[in-house]
Amino acid sequence: MTNNKSFIQVRNLVKEYKTAYALRGVSMTVEKGQWINIMGPSGSGKSTLLNIIGGLDNSTSGDVIIDSTDVEALDEDHLAIFRREQIGFIFQQSHLIPYLTAVENVMLAQYFHSMADEEEAGEALKRVGLGQRLHHRPSQLSGGEQQRICIARALINSPGILLADEPTGNLDRDNTEIILELLDSIHREDHFTIVLVTHDPFVSKWGDRVLQMEDGHIVGDEFIKERVKGA
Amino acid sequence: MINSIIYEAQLIGFKEGIKAGLVWLVFYSYLLSNDRKSLAKSFYTGISLSLLLGLSFLLFPESPVSGDFIGNIISMSFALFLIFSGAALYHASGVDLFVFRDGMRSEFVIRTLVFSLTVIFFLPDFTGSAVYLNELAELKENTFMTAVSAAAGIMIAAVIIFSFVRLYKPFWLGSFFAFPQLLLFLAMVKLFGSGIKGISELSLIPSVQRGFIKFIHDLVHQTFVMLMVPDHPLLKKTTWDFIGTFFGPGFASIASLFILLALPALFINHTLFRPLPEPPARTNIARRKTRALMLSDRRKKAVPVIFFMVFIISAWFSYGGEKVLQVYDPEPRPVVADNGVIVIPLKDPVTDVMDGRLHKFSFVHEGEEVRVMVIKKADNSLSVCLDACEICPPSGYGQRDDHVVCLYCSTPIPVNTLGRAGGCNPVPLAADIGDGFIRIELKEIIKKWGFVNSGR
Repeated sequence: MTNNKSFIQVRNLVKEYKTAYALRGVSMTVEKGQWINIMGPSGSGKSTLLNIIGGLDNSTSGDVIIDSTDVEALDEDHLAIFRREQIGFIFQQSHLIPYLTAVENVMLAQYFHSMADEEEAGEALKRVGLGQRLHHRPSQLSGGEQQRICIARALINSPGILLADEPTGNLDRDNTEIILELLDSIHREDHFTIVLVTHDPFVSKWGDRVLQMEDGHIVGDEFIKERVKGA
Repeated sequence: MINSIIYEAQLIGFKEGIKAGLVWLVFYSYLLSNDRKSLAKSFYTGISLSLLLGLSFLLFPESPVSGDFIGNIISMSFALFLIFSGAALYHASGVDLFVFRDGMRSEFVIRTLVFSLTVIFFLPDFTGSAVYLNELAELKENTFMTAVSAAAGIMIAAVIIFSFVRLYKPFWLGSFFAFPQLLLFLAMVKLFGSGIKGISELSLIPSVQRGFIKFIHDLVHQTFVMLMVPDHPLLKKTTWDFIGTFFGPGFASIASLFILLALPALFINHTLFRPLPEPPARTNIARRKTRALMLSDRRKKAVPVIFFMVFIISAWFSYGGEKVLQVYDPEPRPVVADNGVIVIPLKDPVTDVMDGRLHKFSFVHEGEEVRVMVIKKADNSLSVCLDACEICPPSGYGQRDDHVVCLYCSTPIPVNTLGRAGGCNPVPLAADIGDGFIRIELKEIIKKWGFVNSGR
């Protein structure tokens, strides 16, 4: 299952809590530019896997190699730099700063990466269809619009990998489709790698590949022959 | 006696060792961060030569170089580093001052420059310390113990610096220094750590303050003297007496402080508040990262400059300010004229005018107090003058170390130059000194006092 030339390599990953195992020797690879969906029931370990790949959590044992970097071996400072440069996150909750406007929320991600640039942040929001909402606060926007800000925020620093944990979990079907179409469109243009966690079969039809997880194991690995939307 | 030698000589050695260690640490860090480690050899050669030449003064039982001369050289080398750093800061803030840039790129020129700056920095200080140690050895009559104690002081400093470097590896300091900041740092170390008389006069700050006060005073004073017209209702001197406020010690001190801080402030203004240049970059991310690096570099390079400014301001007021303003101003002792002659005893149960301190005497003439001052010069001769000069209102003089200082405008006059007439010098009086008395003709005093007090 592993391949030395793969962009993301996960080898025998184990995550043990005091009373249970979240991951029981997971191995997988993801090619550069691939969109992979991880499906499974609650408690199957998919979010834990995503967090460990993104350097937000540590494994009990095993390796995570991303673009030749052993993520588990990085110290705190280098891990922070790695996350800043290589990874964009989208979560089910938007985690936007409520007292900042849409453009300021995106600029905050720029600031922690290098330095803020309002013009560039505005362009990123226009790209996700929020050109008219730049100076609105999150409370003045719908859930779908908030999630679009999150996409702009996650991609503003051109990360190599986008990690999305139930990005449409709070949205209705129409907004879900809008978000997925948007992601699909940007993905086709920018060719970054997407690892998306979902339990929704509708969402899992988007992308290139679906991994099935159960009880800390990968139990299925299926390539999607034709993406829902495509050129 | 032995303990006293050990303490004083060790302190001198320790001070020079710490100073050299700090300069090495910052310079070496600077070279590492600029990938120019090879230049360290020129630094080592320069400091070794300075140490050898400086120590060679220990060999002379009677030093051929006076402490005053070396003190002046130390002040000049400080001024040199300050001027260099000012020019380099100004250059770094965007003005192209270095017209010989192509020549500056030559490795030989750079090595020679590093070597020369090292010698200019260390040689005066090492020489001054050697001369002082020599004097100490002669005073205590124990050359061996003095030399060993000084060497021990240097060793203690070396161990402290070495341990600090081994423990903390502080070479990241280099990222805070570009060439101008390096020169400014050297000037600051020089300002704080130079001085050749051990713990009591560690700092150059008082002498720098005096120098600036003298400069400002002369500028303002001489300008107004040129403009004065005798007997003119508005341009006569007394009309403009209020001008003394502007070259009094407070104003001159503040003004000279501003002069000292002007170039660093200009640098801070240009580097921190000037818009960042647009870097050539293929993507927005690369552009932002380059601009962020430029901004971070600007901020880091501003730290030593801001540190210098804070240091100067605090040291100026806390350490130097008191010393520069401390003046010994004795109460005049009353004397009377006897057959048209004022007679002052050289020594009586209360006073000895040969003790090196300023002595003042006064008498009343036509309802007005007239003052005369007497002080011994370095050649053991006595200087007898009016307690007034030709320019300022007759506020008189006080004594500060080997200078008398005008109490009106703070101009310092070296005691050894007393007797010269004109300008800010106390008006000299013809006096007959002998048989244990100073005799001054009353008419000589009255004539000159009337002249200086006439408000021409």
